[in-house]
Amino acid sequence: MSCHGPASDPDLGRSTTATLPATLRVLLIGGPNVGKSTLFNALTGARQRTMNAPGTTVELATGTWRTFANGTRDGATERAIVDLPGTYSLLARSVDEQVSADALRDLALSSVEVTGQPGVAVVVIDATALTRSLYLLAQVAETGVPLVVALTMLDLVTTATDSPTAAVSSNTLAAALAAVLGVPVVPVDARNRADVGRRDLARAVDVVAANPRRLTGIAALAPSSCCGTPVAVAGAAVADLAQELAHAENLFAWVEQVVEQVSRFLATEAGVESPTTSERPPRRTFSDRVDTVLLNPWAGIPAFLAVVWLLFELTTRFAAPLQNVIGQLVNGPLASGVTWLLGLLGLGDSWVQGLLVDGLLVGVGTVLTFLPVMAVMFAALGVLEDTGYLARAAFVADRAMRSLGLDGRALLPLIVGFGCNLPALAATRTLPHARQRLLTGLLVPLTSCSARLTVYVLLAGAFFPRNAGTVIFGMYLTSVLLVLGGGLLLRRTAFRDVRAEPLVLVLPPYQRPHLRTLGMSVRMRLGAFVIGAGKIIVGTMLVVWVLMALPATGQHAIGDAPVADSVYGLAASGIAPVLAPAGFGNDHAAAALITGFVAKEVVVGSLAQSYAVAGPDHRPAGSLGARLRESFGKSSGGHGGSAALAFMVFVLAYTPCVAALAEQRRLFGWRPTAWALGAQLVTAWVLAVLVFQVGSRL
Amino acid sequence: MTLRESPLGKELRVTGVRLPAAAAFRLNEMGIRPGTLAHVTQQAAFGGRVVAVAGSRYALDGGTAALIDVEPVQRRR
Repeated sequence: MSCHGPASDPDLGRSTTATLPATLRVLLIGGPNVGKSTLFNALTGARQRTMNAPGTTVELATGTWRTFANGTRDGATERAIVDLPGTYSLLARSVDEQVSADALRDLALSSVEVTGQPGVAVVVIDATALTRSLYLLAQVAETGVPLVVALTMLDLVTTATDSPTAAVSSNTLAAALAAVLGVPVVPVDARNRADVGRRDLARAVDVVAANPRRLTGIAALAPSSCCGTPVAVAGAAVADLAQELAHAENLFAWVEQVVEQVSRFLATEAGVESPTTSERPPRRTFSDRVDTVLLNPWAGIPAFLAVVWLLFELTTRFAAPLQNVIGQLVNGPLASGVTWLLGLLGLGDSWVQGLLVDGLLVGVGTVLTFLPVMAVMFAALGVLEDTGYLARAAFVADRAMRSLGLDGRALLPLIVGFGCNLPALAATRTLPHARQRLLTGLLVPLTSCSARLTVYVLLAGAFFPRNAGTVIFGMYLTSVLLVLGGGLLLRRTAFRDVRAEPLVLVLPPYQRPHLRTLGMSVRMRLGAFVIGAGKIIVGTMLVVWVLMALPATGQHAIGDAPVADSVYGLAASGIAPVLAPAGFGNDHAAAALITGFVAKEVVVGSLAQSYAVAGPDHRPAGSLGARLRESFGKSSGGHGGSAALAFMVFVLAYTPCVAALAEQRRLFGWRPTAWALGAQLVTAWVLAVLVFQVGSRL
Repeated sequence: MTLRESPLGKELRVTGVRLPAAAAFRLNEMGIRPGTLAHVTQQAAFGGRVVAVAGSRYALDGGTAALIDVEPVQRRR
């Protein structure tokens, strides 16, 4: 590429910052799974945050992309960078895709209305899928925004695919593309820590911001006619589609032409034998060979089930012991430390100690004990995504989803739901139709999120110590059956109009997950969990403590009342009789279910707290299981096991948490949310009663 | 012949996509359009097919694979 403007100075430094605006806007745009987010993480490091796109629940990652002059720490150039949702086309078919198209249109409009440098689009192109990526590139060029091409997946071109460009080195391919396209093309390997591509990319972006180049062969359209009008989301009229298709045909022809020119360039300049597909015999890649097993009609489904089974073995056998260690640390040394410190301050045995140790510390402890499970779940989902298996899982499950009127893509939100219902609800946005999104969004709360796992781990460990793993697996199976049953019921009643969309999924080549990238994403998600959910959890624990500390009768001082005589106990006692037919009509269980309404994470904490506060004698914390067996045994007439199972089923089926309710309301409105809330409570009660009544008679 | 009926590994050219207009359009945008070369790399359960097009692999459900018309490519040797 030729270099004009400030960045032609090899020292990308002070001279550049002087001519560029304080913060250049950079949009990262590209297809799904092209390595866009990996590039974003590599460019921003920790200087990023997530926010919702205005008026939507589509998450956008924004960050600061900082570069220094020649490796020094001065002369920093900062750019505001946004990682847009992956899209194959600017003619959006989902709200996520619309967010990308809108962001690009805003950038294009500001380039017309505002003089100077508005911003740059970095179009991320998958070197293994040139034709698909080039089509999007052409659409971006039509908006008229200055653009730079970042070429990714180069490590896969030579090894993992039979792509037409397979025999070509990354620099040669980038040079060929740059020559044909007329815009800077930068090969990047974001997974490599010492990547020179990132510096080149920064330089190219700054050059293009000052001196935009036109993509050869593509003219910019008027801003009003670019970027896909919102009507494309709802499904445009056939006449509009015909018009769009006619226009797209021009772009397809341009793509063919570019591919042809690139191969000719490579043949003459680099001496690479014509690498176009037409002359190459089909080659079986490594991924093809793996897929003969993992997508086999007979082996595919067992393989899928094995992966899911492994996920839960990891969360129970691996994460649970860590959870215990953290719990013991908080309840033991940390609690004693705080108590000792308060004693020194003359606050020992006061309500302040109660608030801090039994309220705040229990809350913080709950959040901390939750970290290993969440980390394992985030890491596992990350591995499934990075290796490329998640797309296969969606394909394998397509048939099962199809019977619900959903396509395989609905499985992704539902699988994510087993980690946390909240991101799962946001992920329903990838489904192309509003009714499919609503149906999936109503089923997501039935997926057993990892917060509910803490309840299963506690109760299964206390009541079925020898078969805890099997009981927990059974809960997940019940969750799957509830999703299927709920889906079939809804499909035959309120959702008769929902039909499955054709499934067309790009299967990325299998890859080894990259530990640094994975660690980074787990850290980000854990941080978001601690900040987002942690606040609610600690806040709830404090409120619970206050309610427990406030005596309902005048006979006790604040913080000195037994639970039964507190405001909280009074409310729980009022609800307990309703739960009696399910065998857990005791105040502790009722109280825990009330707090579970706020978040399932607090059920375990609330149980622990209510037993801890219960007696004036401070029994050791380790006996929670014994106390559970005692009170569940009493409320069920000696069928504690059945009552515990019924309790777990209730926890599985009723409202996941206040946050999920709020998210549902935001996505789908009040009416479906209220309707779902009522249905969940009724379902939970009926199922729990059924489990207890049958179980206690066996 | 449709993609669903095609044998594994046989070189094919897409001749038509008989999906509803909006879905067919997206398929075209993704790179599966009349004239493209393709071959089936995997036959999955319930008629699902994995198809190689320009180096990428696309998973299609059985119903969709049955609505994509193809013809065998006569290769010059």
